[in-house]
Amino acid sequence: MRTSLQGSWSLVLGVSSGFGRATARAVAAEGGNIVGVHFDTAEGQESATKLADDLHATGVRAHFFNLNAASPATRSEVVSQIAELTDGNGLRVLLHSLAFGSLMPFVPPTDASAGTETVSPRQMAMTVDVMAHSLVYWVQDLLAAGQLPSGAKIFAMTSAGSTRVLGDYGPVSAAKAALESHVRQLAVELAPRGIAVNALRAGTTLTPALRKIPGADRYAEASLGRNPHGRLTEPEDVAEIVTLLATPDSSWLTGNVIGVDGGESLTA
Amino acid sequence: MSDSSQVTVDKEELRSLIADALELPVKEIDDHTHLVEDLEVDSLMALEIVVNLEKRYGVKMEESDFKQVTSLAQVVDLVSAKLAASS
Repeated sequence: MRTSLQGSWSLVLGVSSGFGRATARAVAAEGGNIVGVHFDTAEGQESATKLADDLHATGVRAHFFNLNAASPATRSEVVSQIAELTDGNGLRVLLHSLAFGSLMPFVPPTDASAGTETVSPRQMAMTVDVMAHSLVYWVQDLLAAGQLPSGAKIFAMTSAGSTRVLGDYGPVSAAKAALESHVRQLAVELAPRGIAVNALRAGTTLTPALRKIPGADRYAEASLGRNPHGRLTEPEDVAEIVTLLATPDSSWLTGNVIGVDGGESLTA
Repeated sequence: MSDSSQVTVDKEELRSLIADALELPVKEIDDHTHLVEDLEVDSLMALEIVVNLEKRYGVKMEESDFKQVTSLAQVVDLVSAKLAASS
């Protein structure tokens, strides 16, 4: 059986850009309501407000919070709001698309002109906490509040960095590896409750998060050369898959890292 | 903001705003305590401070303003300059 997203509620962590924003638009286009969390200074706040207005214009409800999604206080506030908004019915989709971390080498480069700064314990811990562990804590709090019913779908955005090395991406690579592990663990622990958990491994996508990675231009060009579709991944490619995989009532598709990259990872 | 009610920066209010963002007791934040070197403030905590400053004072911070988030004294100067520029 399948259930349409019409009238459902989805929680998008990282709603103001990239995959989060595209998914919010796609879910709203199918009549789904959105609770979004983002963490931005004024400029990002303006674009988030515009997105919320666009979603409202489609006739759905949208509630955004400009708060740090990795903080316990944020979870507590947003989860209690969700309980009210969904009228006790809970969420259909939880999308974890948080890109905030330190992009730093582990050891100083041999070329001293490139700088000598290396990742600190604090930066490493922060990156893995935001981009990986926070998924577990949101699931714990949503479940405790009764907001993850049977049939709910949890998606976490991962990247090729979980198994590949890319310059200063080390702390984020560690976070992606941990995130995929959390997805498997949650999938098994949530199976008896009928909740599916999957990681989506997007191909290289020109999101604001990618542009912050040193050397991103060269990497994007190489990815474009590898992608058998002859183009890079767009946020909308991922959003379409989220809305598709959110419709089955079944939780049999669970615990996977699903490539949504047009075959980019297959070619040498 | 009306031009007759000039918002002034209350240093003690800023001290507690920073302490709250860092989840530290107010007494840990001296005027010149270095947020990065002494308190190990990372980029996420800096963003927490900056977003809270924007919400409280109605100012708009730029990427380049983050490097001034190094001590309470520096933050007082930053917010004062922003308020002066917007009045």
